[in-house]
Amino acid sequence: MPPETSTAGRGRTLPDDQALLQVRGLQKIYDTDGGGIEAVRDLTFDLGRNELVCLVGPSGSGKTTLLKCIAGLLEPTSGSVTLDGRQVTGPPKKMAVVFQEYGRSLFPWLRVDGNVELPLRNAGVPKGERRRLVGEALESVGLTHAARQYPWQLSGGMQQRVAIARAIAYQPEVLLMDEPFAAVDAQTRADLEDLVREVRERLGVTVLFVTHDIDESVYLGTRVVILSSSPTVIQEDIEIDLPEARDQLETRAMPRFTELRHHVYEQIQLAKQGFRPDETRVG
Amino acid sequence: MMTTTSPDSTITRAVAIAQRRSARRRFRPRRLLLGLGGIVTFLALWELVSRTGLVNPVYLPPASEVLVQFGINLTLTGFWGAVGVTVGTWALGMLIAFVLAAPIGIVIGLSGFLRRATRSTIEFLRPIPSVGLIPLAVLVFAEPLQQSLLIVVYGAFWQILVQVLYGVGDVDTVAMATARSYGFGWWQRVRDVVFPTMLPYLVTGVRLAAAVALILAVTAELVIGGSPGLGREIGLSRDAGLYPSTYALVLATGLLGVVINVGVRVVERRLLSWHQSVRGDV
Amino acid sequence: MRRALTAVGFALGLPVCLVVVWWFATRTSANPFVPQPVPLVTTFLDTWFGDRFASDVVPSISRFAIGAVVAVVLGVVIGLLIGLSRTLRAFTEPTFEFFRAVPPPVLIPILGLLIGVGDDMKVAVIVLGAIWPVLLNTIEGVRAVDDVQSDTSRSYGIRGMNRVRFQILPAAAPQILAGVRQSLPIAIILMVISEMFYTSAGLGFSIIQFQRQFAIPQMWSGILLLGLIGFAVSMLFTLVERRLLRWYHGLKDLENAS
Repeated sequence: MPPETSTAGRGRTLPDDQALLQVRGLQKIYDTDGGGIEAVRDLTFDLGRNELVCLVGPSGSGKTTLLKCIAGLLEPTSGSVTLDGRQVTGPPKKMAVVFQEYGRSLFPWLRVDGNVELPLRNAGVPKGERRRLVGEALESVGLTHAARQYPWQLSGGMQQRVAIARAIAYQPEVLLMDEPFAAVDAQTRADLEDLVREVRERLGVTVLFVTHDIDESVYLGTRVVILSSSPTVIQEDIEIDLPEARDQLETRAMPRFTELRHHVYEQIQLAKQGFRPDETRVG
Repeated sequence: MMTTTSPDSTITRAVAIAQRRSARRRFRPRRLLLGLGGIVTFLALWELVSRTGLVNPVYLPPASEVLVQFGINLTLTGFWGAVGVTVGTWALGMLIAFVLAAPIGIVIGLSGFLRRATRSTIEFLRPIPSVGLIPLAVLVFAEPLQQSLLIVVYGAFWQILVQVLYGVGDVDTVAMATARSYGFGWWQRVRDVVFPTMLPYLVTGVRLAAAVALILAVTAELVIGGSPGLGREIGLSRDAGLYPSTYALVLATGLLGVVINVGVRVVERRLLSWHQSVRGDV
Repeated sequence: MRRALTAVGFALGLPVCLVVVWWFATRTSANPFVPQPVPLVTTFLDTWFGDRFASDVVPSISRFAIGAVVAVVLGVVIGLLIGLSRTLRAFTEPTFEFFRAVPPPVLIPILGLLIGVGDDMKVAVIVLGAIWPVLLNTIEGVRAVDDVQSDTSRSYGIRGMNRVRFQILPAAAPQILAGVRQSLPIAIILMVISEMFYTSAGLGFSIIQFQRQFAIPQMWSGILLLGLIGFAVSMLFTLVERRLLRWYHGLKDLENAS
């Protein structure tokens, strides 16, 4: 079945009651002395509940800008982001972010359990409840034994797990991940990818996953949104119709996997060459 | 097989560079203006507090009066004479401290044994407040210059010594071993391996010592009252009840300190940028 | 066991040798300016641990303590407020550069005019002199906070006072403590000097008195006491810093090892 086509340059949208996160006409222009630089022109797509949507695109296609706008860390020039019907003007309570630079995102003066518990402490969650949530989160990422260590005493992969545990303990509805495994070695990355899938299944969070890695995006996602080159619009929004249960070896060996991967790769090459979906419609 | 998108020239990089450039250009004049605004505000507040009598204007003359007095001072040879004495004491003290501390620091730093043996002594002598030696200086030396120098040198010496020890301690042991295996003599090793590593630390030490040395020079002049420098002038003008002059002299001392701090920092930056470009692989 | 002995050996070795040399040197010469070790110690104990302890030592040290604490607290609080605002930083920078370049003892004659010559003035001098390293270092530490850390805080809704408490202060702590370390010796110096002016009591005053009366051994004992105080304060600070910045030292050790 061909992927659902939407209006050129736009991603798939859902009816309001089904959409958890709605991005409409997002535009971001950075102010500089020599006029503005339009990083993101017009992004429109929705996230339904419990989806795992991967965002891929050529480097510099505004992936991080988009993520920061959605996370409420950056103010868009125009357009809107709506979470659960409420517009996002600052970091919303029901959202957690996992950054790429885990070394700088985790606080070095707190131990692992201190780091995981911090957002809860800030939110005023009582101690007993906090301890329970922290314990569960650490268990789900397999780091219960490392609770009393400092983050910088752990390997890169383990540090990123701590960041994920911190996000999980926060019990968000939406989990944003900004190229979280880019700085981690390949074997660890495979484990972490499976961890993300597992977390999503168990906790029912919706995940928006930004990545460079095409294979990763097809392996992980229920949908892959391909971004064009800058000024960014949506190149294509593809449904990943691989089976729900995925396995690093089996799934990646499937012919459908190869097809999808090939398709995504092609689209990104087109994007890099400057092909723009919103311009082909002209004339 | 892993396929990734390859990094091209990118929007993110373009934005970052443009922002950095505009930030540098845009904020320089703004920062200067704000800074000047701060100074002006401070002077205005001072003027107000004095003129409205919030503080007794006899004891706190208005800023305008003090500034006028400051201007007058700049025309007096006596003033410049005092400045010369203070700066001279400072410079001489720095020189002596440097000549003593740098070699001693290098020698101690290079020997593990000496480092460990002297550590407790250094840790004990270093925190002794230099000004505590003032009574001693007065007793032992008759010349005001010598009295001041004892205080200044003692303070500046430790700043430089400690930094040199850090610097020598930072020397790459592999580079040293390589040099030794190539038959480099002791002096050669110091010159080619130790010195480049130690230079930034030495410069930091000189910077810290410069600030301390000025403070100690002025303090010695103020407390002992022997050397006819800025410190003594401040004490004299106050005793004579010439308060606008007292404040004007304090102003001058502060400005002298700023000039020295800025000067040292400029030299430091020059020296270190040359050092970076020359350092290459040690 | 052997390692502990070697450590102690190194720590005491040079000092002991120096004391021995000193003892021999002063046995033969009769220089009035140079004290002999044994009489110095007895003079030291007599002078400072008799009446003077209550009348001079304690007040001086209290003034130092109060002044240092006030300087640190004010420095951190003001530094925080200024450090968080780019505008305030630019606004205050030149003025602060000027103030910190003024040798604090020079303020004593002026403060004497404004506040009088009592305890207030002495504590004020200590505060005005010792605040600058703390203040300027706090500003710098707060300014240089990592932006990924800040993004993390913002994304989890950690704002305002909580952000200061949970993120900014701990992140700036190494820099702030470096400032405190610089300000403590300044506070000691000012404690001494503030007492050398105008009639008063205290360590600085006493030492000057001894010098004027040519009471050489007592004068030396005073210098010795100052040295011990300086040393004790420095050691105390190192202990506190090591405890507070355990994470930082661990992190640095790791970075240096790689």
